[in-house]
Amino acid sequence: MSYKVTEDGNVATIHLDGEIDMDVTEKAKEVIFPHIEAGKEVHLNLSNVQYMDSSGISVLIESHQKALEKSTKVIIKDVSKSVLKVIMMAKLEQILNLE
Amino acid sequence: MSGLAQTNHTEKKDFLVRSSSLKDVRTFCREVFEKLHIEQNLKEELVLAIAEAAQNIVKHAYKDNPDTEDKMVVQISCNENKLQIGFYDMGTPVDPTKVKHREIDNVKPGGLGTFFIQEIMDAVEFKDGNKPWINHLVLTKKL
Repeated sequence: MSYKVTEDGNVATIHLDGEIDMDVTEKAKEVIFPHIEAGKEVHLNLSNVQYMDSSGISVLIESHQKALEKSTKVIIKDVSKSVLKVIMMAKLEQILNLE
Repeated sequence: MSGLAQTNHTEKKDFLVRSSSLKDVRTFCREVFEKLHIEQNLKEELVLAIAEAAQNIVKHAYKDNPDTEDKMVVQISCNENKLQIGFYDMGTPVDPTKVKHREIDNVKPGGLGTFFIQEIMDAVEFKDGNKPWINHLVLTKKL
């Protein structure tokens, strides 16, 4: 998994790239969580993530819940069809902020 | 689906029991499913279910032994339009009665892998592991 972060004011846009599984979840958390903990609105662009397993879904849930605690939000953008399918299988499409 | 999925076809491969092997497990599955001409949507679902089962071996059966050099084996068999995926490992014995996913409406991190497996596959069965294996899981899907 690789990533790119762009910060603009209070918004951090994080592009993840590759496959998100148990092997890379710690790295994903290290990339995402500091921005949430700093109170930033995080735009998580998943257009280049073609595979995500339950570990990746857990990162999305944890990110969402951390953001609520910090009174900010994580918006998941441009989610690929294959990842959307997994999000829907987990019945999270109404819970997570998808755009 | 092509005629190949109706014929007998079996492939198996071993992998080191660690999270870095999960990508290799997925690659192996995708290659076999290509040969079987399984359509894309089903292929993605099957790869997810298999990778989740392999992840459970790494995460649970080897929870206390993360630096193991043990290997797990994944065997994919297709026989008369029935797909069987076998998993063999030498980790801590699994108690099938304790393998449960979390309540899906209780949104929190974790506990989804087993749910995905059960959603995707027709049957999930723990069998007795013949030596040297401790655990033998079989996932089945009618094609």
